[in-house]
Amino acid sequence: MIGVGKIKQYSNVLDKPLAKGKQEVSLSAFAFLFSELVQYNQTQVDNIAELERRLEDAGYAVGARVLELLCHRDKGNRRETRLLGILSFVHSTVWKVLFGKVADSLEKGTEHEDEYMISEKELLVNRFISIPKDMGTFNCGAFVAGIVRGVLDSAGFPAVVTAHFVPMEGQQRPRTTILIKFAEEVLRREARLG
Amino acid sequence: MIVCVAVVGHQNNPLYIQSFTEADDALKLHHMVHCSLDVVDERVNNPKKSGPTLNETFLGLLYPTENYKVYGYLTNTKVKFIVVTTDLDVRDADVRNFFRRFHAAYVDAVSNPFHVPGKKITSRAFAERVSTIVKSFGLSSAG
Repeated sequence: MIGVGKIKQYSNVLDKPLAKGKQEVSLSAFAFLFSELVQYNQTQVDNIAELERRLEDAGYAVGARVLELLCHRDKGNRRETRLLGILSFVHSTVWKVLFGKVADSLEKGTEHEDEYMISEKELLVNRFISIPKDMGTFNCGAFVAGIVRGVLDSAGFPAVVTAHFVPMEGQQRPRTTILIKFAEEVLRREARLG
Repeated sequence: MIVCVAVVGHQNNPLYIQSFTEADDALKLHHMVHCSLDVVDERVNNPKKSGPTLNETFLGLLYPTENYKVYGYLTNTKVKFIVVTTDLDVRDADVRNFFRRFHAAYVDAVSNPFHVPGKKITSRAFAERVSTIVKSFGLSSAG
């Protein structure tokens, strides 16, 4: 019989298993697709807040699927139940798979117990985007915030995630910060687990 | 051989149930899957520190009844896979292997952009892959 004892040849490329595959997608192709996504949503809404919400919802769908995929690919992956565990998972593994590098930094907020921040000098999705002055504080990183929210929500850590520009002295371009605010029940569960 | 597989969402809502026998007790199998969900919840919420490691995905034998054995598997997103089999001597490695392939098929089905998370899985390709995996499970453990 064909294939016995050898590596199985797949006649149809769609039958190939979901292996690691080529990790890279061309940046220009993604930037083009992303700019179309933003423009499409822009024609459908009247105000900035709605545009941000739509980008975030698009990212949420991506985040949910990325979590399933990563849990399956990293075969030894255990289910994260601790807050720091899931945060470092997002900060390193998810960022590495999506953007090819780990995020620049992960910090705990000082004012509130439930706030954490992931910072990046420049988000990959914002690379070819410049915001016109009349759009104020809008940040296309809302898409990435949506992805993070999708990952956290599917893993059982409901949170509110937003993207902000943080101006840094000494640099002309502001740093982007993803602010994660966890829901009450997450903190209660974390306190109970000790 | 495997008589029933089920995918149950994180709110214990059924996403996919398929039975593989010609017999008409599909309802009894559904009932057994439902009962085994309680066992899954109990294992997840009260981990035995001396038992299997915390956060392991493969839950193992959930409960044996007179004719059937029920195995469980939990993914990162609290989606549970339940498998009911009539074999009396099933190797652990075989079941793990089965769950691994089943997980791959599940991830493929969920990556579909038209699939709404939380709704039933309606993809025919997923149903075909599952029946292929189930058939090959019977062969590999018998051979």
